[in-house]
Amino acid sequence: MSTDTLTHTELDISAMFDKPWITIVWDDPVNLMSYVTFVFIKLFGFSKEKAHDLMMQVHNNGRAVVSSGTREEMERDVQRLHDHGLWATLARDDQG
Amino acid sequence: MSEFIRDGDVYSLDLTIDEAHILINLVEQLLELLGEGDFHHHYDENDPFAQLMSQLKAAPEEIAPPEDPVLMRLLPNAYADPEAAADFRRFTEPTLRGNKQRTLRAVREALSEMVDLEQAGIVDDIDAELWLMAINDLRLALSVRLDINEESHDVFESLPDSDPQKSIYAVYFWLGWLQESLLELLTQ
Repeated sequence: MSTDTLTHTELDISAMFDKPWITIVWDDPVNLMSYVTFVFIKLFGFSKEKAHDLMMQVHNNGRAVVSSGTREEMERDVQRLHDHGLWATLARDDQG
Repeated sequence: MSEFIRDGDVYSLDLTIDEAHILINLVEQLLELLGEGDFHHHYDENDPFAQLMSQLKAAPEEIAPPEDPVLMRLLPNAYADPEAAADFRRFTEPTLRGNKQRTLRAVREALSEMVDLEQAGIVDDIDAELWLMAINDLRLALSVRLDINEESHDVFESLPDSDPQKSIYAVYFWLGWLQESLLELLTQ
């Protein structure tokens, strides 16, 4: 019993600290599909295929998660996406 | 017709003097809107007074989100939560603004040089990725003013030539075409 409780507590604490943050790119009617793909490759080093798939997700679903990690890392990604004129936000990953 | 040209790793832009003037005009309007936030003082970082000043700057004051919708599109909120967005903006907006100003200034400089020298309409040896970003910001700015959506191209085509908006739409779609052509060269 006590072991279970301890493990449970440990899990909760680690979840609190490790809970990843995500960077979301939102669809807009201006940025060209080819430009969005280009920016994904340039900033994240994705393969052509992966960048294209993510761009299509943005286009079809209105948004796509393009990266995940610590809050600081996601803030940096959002900043770089804003530099390139993409509409991006970061959020705590609540789906995970 | 204007076009980007690629020769190995060297990019240039072939455009008419009139087109260069249109671009310079747009770039300058956007620079004006972005304001003068790109201040570089000339003391080096080791100067004790400069160090003291930068420590005093460590907690910058809050920056309100821009009221102009064009600026709000170029300098958007990073968080859905207004408080987190304000905090992020406080620390990052001056850098983002400065980056955009630098990009636009480089484009203006290259274009002005071409116009001044009347070099047969060629802007030589351009930084292709920088131009790509500048054109994108110009398109974003125009799109807010024109309220661009999926139907905008039909709207543009149905406008009579006498409509003053028609030429602004024309510039917007021209920039899209120009950007697409540069992307094709960059990804060849």
